[in-house]
Amino acid sequence: MSPKHIWLNLGGLLALIGLLGLLYWQSTGVRAIPAMTDALKNSDSKVRVAAAQMLAEIGPAAKPAVTRLLDQALHDPVQYARTTAAAALKTMDLAAARQVMTASIRTLKGEDTPARRAACTVLGSLGPVAKPAVPDLIVALSDVDETIRMHAAGALGEIGIPATLVIPALTKALHDPAQPVRHRALTLFAFSIPPTEAVTPHLKQLSEDKDLSIAILATSTLNSPHRQTQDRAGTYMAMFSYQRSAATYALPRLAQLGPDASTAVPAVIPILKDEHPLHRYLAAEVLGAIGPGAKDAVPALTAALQDEDAVVRESVAEALRAIGAADGSRKAAPPK
Amino acid sequence: MTTMDDSKKLTWLTVAFYWGCIVFGLSLHAVIMVAQDTYRRHGAFAEAWQDFRLHLFAPGYNFFLIGVLNALPFVLLAVFILFHLGTTATKEPVIVSRRLAGVAGAVAVAVGLSTWAHLITVLHPDAQGALVYFFLPIYLLGLIPLGYAVGRLAGNLLFKQPAPTA
Repeated sequence: MSPKHIWLNLGGLLALIGLLGLLYWQSTGVRAIPAMTDALKNSDSKVRVAAAQMLAEIGPAAKPAVTRLLDQALHDPVQYARTTAAAALKTMDLAAARQVMTASIRTLKGEDTPARRAACTVLGSLGPVAKPAVPDLIVALSDVDETIRMHAAGALGEIGIPATLVIPALTKALHDPAQPVRHRALTLFAFSIPPTEAVTPHLKQLSEDKDLSIAILATSTLNSPHRQTQDRAGTYMAMFSYQRSAATYALPRLAQLGPDASTAVPAVIPILKDEHPLHRYLAAEVLGAIGPGAKDAVPALTAALQDEDAVVRESVAEALRAIGAADGSRKAAPPK
Repeated sequence: MTTMDDSKKLTWLTVAFYWGCIVFGLSLHAVIMVAQDTYRRHGAFAEAWQDFRLHLFAPGYNFFLIGVLNALPFVLLAVFILFHLGTTATKEPVIVSRRLAGVAGAVAVAVGLSTWAHLITVLHPDAQGALVYFFLPIYLLGLIPLGYAVGRLAGNLLFKQPAPTA
């Protein structure tokens, strides 16, 4: 083989690598938004689900897709397509996510049982953004339909805040007559929501449940080293300090700790200026949950009253009130 | 057969091994996934292909990245083949045969191991199964030279230098 042939073949390989790089570049990040937005119209629900997941990964830059995602979250005939669209919305537009929440609360209060079950799931997929739906979900925990009660418990666990309402409601669900509801509530304490001391007697009671799977899970939750960790705030802080994308997981857990998370205040303040509205919202929620112990955050919170997102502004004003600073809502910028 | 024919044959073989390795490495995961999905869907190839394309860049799947990861050792092997066989003097047929045997050993190990690993991962899904796609290229980089050594050894045994005439 002549050297010319060899170099020609190597050149072909380089051209192939270049083409693959170009394909990757074009198919990811903000460049993929138009194609993904179009895919939301696809007749195959799996395509719509995947497109919503990819848009969620892109985050606030995918805001041009909000209108179509909103439509999918509210009207898609396939429930999973609705929940993925709702979950995507919370990463790019909190106001749109709240629109989905309002519609779902309306459905939850309606008569159509399957639609009410689906509404619980959609509310759960919105996560902490659906905090105003917590009272309605607590009411749903007393529904006659056990599937609704189970989904309501799951949604409360995914929303997670305010802990002062969510934890007592889930503790009550631990004693639901239906095994699936008890199991769901217990799973949340085992894996998502750190149980407080007040929950411990209920877990002990469940460790003797007639259902073996519940008894075992309750025992393992009681013995979990995670439950006994004293410096939970430090663990969660380390998570988002190391990787900002972990904030979506760590901040709601800090908010659940309430005043015990006061050591996290210096680490949470910079997140009020994060580019992701969801992170800014969660930071304000953490500071509000800490209350007077977060007084060092008052200047940053006051500045955040001018945030471009109305939901963040509302949460910041609430946080200022909880801290005991001057009435935040008075200083909040008018909705844009 | 003339020397020119031998040269053309070797060039053709080199190019075939070179591009074969690259294309195989890039497409193995796609072929196995689509074939398995087509079987699962009772022959609906178009649906299986659409499903695969959908997950090429999807978070949590990233089939494109898996294809690229799998192709890495194959690309290195292809470049080695291009220089190793491409620069062989055809007037020494024993050396050519031994090198071909070595390359065949390396290719057999790379193709066999990666096909087996991909098949096992797809047919027996596991929560940690995807780790295979990360570690497989590393294992292959270690085992391809071993395959070459075995093939070359076999070549040395099979293709002896003709004894010098008295």
